[in-house]
Amino acid sequence: MAKSIYELVDDLPKRNITVMSLRSLDFIIPGQWENIVGFEDTIRHVTGETDEGLIQAVGERAIALYNDKSEGYQTAMWLYQTVDRMDGAIASAALANMVGEKIKLLGFLNKLTPNSEKLQALDLGIKTVVELVAFCKINGIPGDSIGDFARALADYEGVSLMRMAALVCFDGLIPLGPNFIDSVQNKLAATSPSDLDNNPAFQTVGKEIPASGSEGRLSFIKESFNSVAGWMGNFVNSKNLTREKVAKHLQQFVDVSDDKLDYLAAFLDMSTNYFEHTGTQTLARRLIERAMAEI
Amino acid sequence: MIMSRLRRVLAPLLLVLFLVVTGCAASEPSRWDEAQQQTSGETAVSEEATSGGQFNQFFPEGGGGYDRVFTQEKDGFAQASLKQDGAEVALLSISDTTGNPQAAQKFAQSSSNIGGYPSVQVGSTQTAILVGDRYQVKVVSKDDSFTDGDRQAWLEKFDLSGLSQL
Repeated sequence: MAKSIYELVDDLPKRNITVMSLRSLDFIIPGQWENIVGFEDTIRHVTGETDEGLIQAVGERAIALYNDKSEGYQTAMWLYQTVDRMDGAIASAALANMVGEKIKLLGFLNKLTPNSEKLQALDLGIKTVVELVAFCKINGIPGDSIGDFARALADYEGVSLMRMAALVCFDGLIPLGPNFIDSVQNKLAATSPSDLDNNPAFQTVGKEIPASGSEGRLSFIKESFNSVAGWMGNFVNSKNLTREKVAKHLQQFVDVSDDKLDYLAAFLDMSTNYFEHTGTQTLARRLIERAMAEI
Repeated sequence: MIMSRLRRVLAPLLLVLFLVVTGCAASEPSRWDEAQQQTSGETAVSEEATSGGQFNQFFPEGGGGYDRVFTQEKDGFAQASLKQDGAEVALLSISDTTGNPQAAQKFAQSSSNIGGYPSVQVGSTQTAILVGDRYQVKVVSKDDSFTDGDRQAWLEKFDLSGLSQL
């Protein structure tokens, strides 16, 4: 049985590799993200209230809203969870591919494993769409509003901004380098609907992409990524982000002995679930803000 | 000799005690269990609720150093964030109490009014009014600088008569 919203928020870890990795990005957006965990503590934090009766009323309304499937919160949660759980499979394939390039003995793996850059590009494209669809589900904006989402990005703050920072750094800059935006656009342009059909993440979350058929969904992914490319480029430039700078901060928290950044990216992919962690926090915050207003 | 025998007896006993204690902790009831049981698989919003998009027109504009950013638009609900110098100072919302009658009931004992509509204080950060016996308009302070007086002033900036005719 699916977990309740309070169990999901209560289960968020205070400290693990995901949390440490996200903290390493604090230098980019200082003070924007605080790792608030636990349903009650989140209600206290969001409402600023201490009255137990009021906290109970807000929590109960939030639970009722989450439990109503038609409100879209459960789908958003599923998307955040699922796109992160797919990472393990993608990372294993990407890692096998890199090993294949370095160790000749395993060179035959290239025949079996998709190009890791292509996988990373698709991964970033699919995660961008998941963020868009989850944003629309949580906030109630029609699901195909790419323009609304792109505009709303300008107002992203707190935990949502941290998730986008992690997307740029962990799924863009570190695995694909400083030209990751062009690289992803080129790779997506070279992606066929059947490539998409064979992608494990797409096989699972694809049905929630608001377009029909693989071709329509591929167009939606391209269009979505193009619409946020400007924001991403501006984010990287305005914060003077480089692979090396991000890696240096990660190395304070994650024990990566050398600067093999492809391995670092694969390591992050396999060992963190930042989309699920921060997605749960974003969803809980919006749900509580709504519950607080409705009681 | 006695000590080692004691240790042999004590170790399994402590282990059993540990398992019992942690086992109990895992199944400890939560203050939210009842709400979870009562609302599982239930709808939370009435089918008759006004769609959130219809509320947007009645929200006050930004200006005077404030930016208004719409954040949520669901059936029976719309919310905007009020920002000053980029920082959120308040949340503005309109919600339909159809299907959520408890929200409207609290106004029955109201002895005050704002803009001609019954008003209540909720907790230490919220002020709400009920328009047309149906729509709850609420302003929540998100920063200490945004006072009770500010909440009242912003409630009056909503197009309340327009909302009452919806």
